Amino acid sequence: MIYFVMLMLMCFIIGLVGVASNPSPYFAAFGLVMSAAIGCGLLASHGTSFLSFVLFLIYLGGMLVVFVYSAALTAEPYPESWLDWPVLVNVMMYLLGVGVGVYYFFGEWNMMHWMGVDELNNFSLWRGDLSGTSLMYSDGIMLLFLAGWVLLLTLFVVLELIRGLGRGALRVV
Amino acid sequence: MTPMHFTFTSAFILSLLGLTIHRTSLLSALLCLEGMMLTLYIALTLWSVENSSSAYLMSPLILLAFSACEACTGLSLLIATTRTHGNNHLQNLNLLQC
Repeated sequence: MIYFVMLMLMCFIIGLVGVASNPSPYFAAFGLVMSAAIGCGLLASHGTSFLSFVLFLIYLGGMLVVFVYSAALTAEPYPESWLDWPVLVNVMMYLLGVGVGVYYFFGEWNMMHWMGVDELNNFSLWRGDLSGTSLMYSDGIMLLFLAGWVLLLTLFVVLELIRGLGRGALRVV
Repeated sequence: MTPMHFTFTSAFILSLLGLTIHRTSLLSALLCLEGMMLTLYIALTLWSVENSSSAYLMSPLILLAFSACEACTGLSLLIATTRTHGNNHLQNLNLLQC
């Protein structure tokens, strides 16, 4: 299992290198989808299956669909992939930086980092993350109201930002 | 420094470098911001898991709500930029001030 988690950590970094190395937004969105899926696997490997599920639903189901739609809206005729020359230079530079970091910290690498949230893990329906996140409805109720208020405020901000009849995206340029 | 901590620190720094250095298109900058928020979500979750303090596990959910707000505002700015300037390249925002 620990080798599988190391593989997932490596693929997480590679996905974010693919986002950060400035390709066209199609490929960057693909890298972010890969990193989000692997992050779900990482959280599930630590036992927090509910938060992994939330991450999967919100990122891959909500936000990244919107991102892919916006990438299609602002389309470019010749997209740059990771194999084109300036992007490839960035990828190599970032991977070299990560490799230097691994080499620097490899002596004090602590492999015994495995902590789950399962105290009673034999046929238990009550995992630690479920009891932790349900505190949002009792003790953290003010935070819940704050998050709801911020979401409502964002709705008005978005409506105000894209308002306007004479300068719509679908006009004939 | 466990491999987990190294991964999230380096992933956060990589996204931050991609946001600050390469700024061709606005959507690439927003995707780097989303990568930073994804890293922060996973780091907050694993922080409270490794400290066995499950009472703090509601903080990633609040962070995810705020990052959804940030993504919505960034994408509406992207749409507004595409409407007024024709594309979303960041150099054009200085060239064609209107």
